[in-house]
Amino acid sequence: MEKGESTSTSYSDTNGSNEPDHDFECNICFELAQDPIVTLCGHLFCWPCLYRWLHHHSHSQECPVCKALVQDDKLVPLYGRGKNQTDPRTKRYPGMRIPNRPAGQRPETASPPPQQPQNDAASNFFNYGIGLMGGFMPMATTRIGNFSFGVGGLLPSLFNFQFHGFPDAALYGTAPGYPFGGYHNGFRGVPGGNNEPTTPGGGHPSDAALKNILIVVGICVFLFLLL
Amino acid sequence: MSSSGAPSHKALSKIACKRLQKELVEWQMNPPTGFKHKVNDNLQRWIIEVIGAPGTLYANETYQLQVDFPEHYPMESPQVIFLLPAPLHPHIYSNGHICLDILYDSWSPAMTVSSICISILSMLSSSTEKQRPTDNDRYVQNCKNGRSPKETRWWFHDDKV
Repeated sequence: MEKGESTSTSYSDTNGSNEPDHDFECNICFELAQDPIVTLCGHLFCWPCLYRWLHHHSHSQECPVCKALVQDDKLVPLYGRGKNQTDPRTKRYPGMRIPNRPAGQRPETASPPPQQPQNDAASNFFNYGIGLMGGFMPMATTRIGNFSFGVGGLLPSLFNFQFHGFPDAALYGTAPGYPFGGYHNGFRGVPGGNNEPTTPGGGHPSDAALKNILIVVGICVFLFLLL
Repeated sequence: MSSSGAPSHKALSKIACKRLQKELVEWQMNPPTGFKHKVNDNLQRWIIEVIGAPGTLYANETYQLQVDFPEHYPMESPQVIFLLPAPLHPHIYSNGHICLDILYDSWSPAMTVSSICISILSMLSSSTEKQRPTDNDRYVQNCKNGRSPKETRWWFHDDKV
């Protein structure tokens, strides 16, 4: 009927009932979620709504949207910028006691990067440099190398593995137009994900040690083959 | 006409009211195909016209659904029945009661009038023969006192239709 209108205003009023506005609405009361909480299956509810449904009306602990099992201790609260506690329970369901919303599960804080000789700006720049300077290709090889070695220990993988040390070296070789070529461990720790998530094969400090072990194993296998 | 008068007509709670208003607005913007909401000023009882889907046994037939909302909708399911004459269907009793799990045990507050309607139309559409449930007479007799289908202990056994 009002086709013309809806196409012209596309995102505002006429289509207003479409997704854009509904993304943060509780799946039960259809209001903007209050004390928002998300199930593991990803469905958003007001905590009071969900609690009330699960504990007073439903016969099973199922997500109202998709029927996935819902466990109280696996719910994830959403903490936006809004007021923290507007004692919401009295608001939405007056006369009903609803316990506090489950708290978020907080993993430990990330440990600070092992060694970081430079100030942030410099190191960021450095990371960026790696990202740009063909960090990518060698990374790929590294990964493949690691992977096939893990899977097989067969001859080709051995080859790959040998290769493995190489491009990495190249990587560190090229990037350091900057003075600190040696600090790779430290620097790999830094990125914190703002770079390519694909920062070299492993962001773990133990990687170097692992590599060494693998190299030794590789040499052993090689010797064994020679015999 | 329908004997199922008012199912203990307690006024809608505030939440129920707000949600129904939203559903109504959404329905008006984007009604499910094959349905017409007959406008009245009663938010608590919707009368909805169902038009049998083309190519099915009920093509070109029109029926009326009566949807009554309880005080604590959507925590509790609405009562949905066909006004008479109800379509001939193996899961629809001659008094208009519908044997459909989402209206009773499998109700979820994330469902809407619109999603119920679609389920009902789909149930109609998948029917292969126009007949009453085998226990129709017994059931209807039992409901004589105007019992709501929500008080029935339903048995959901047939997932084909």
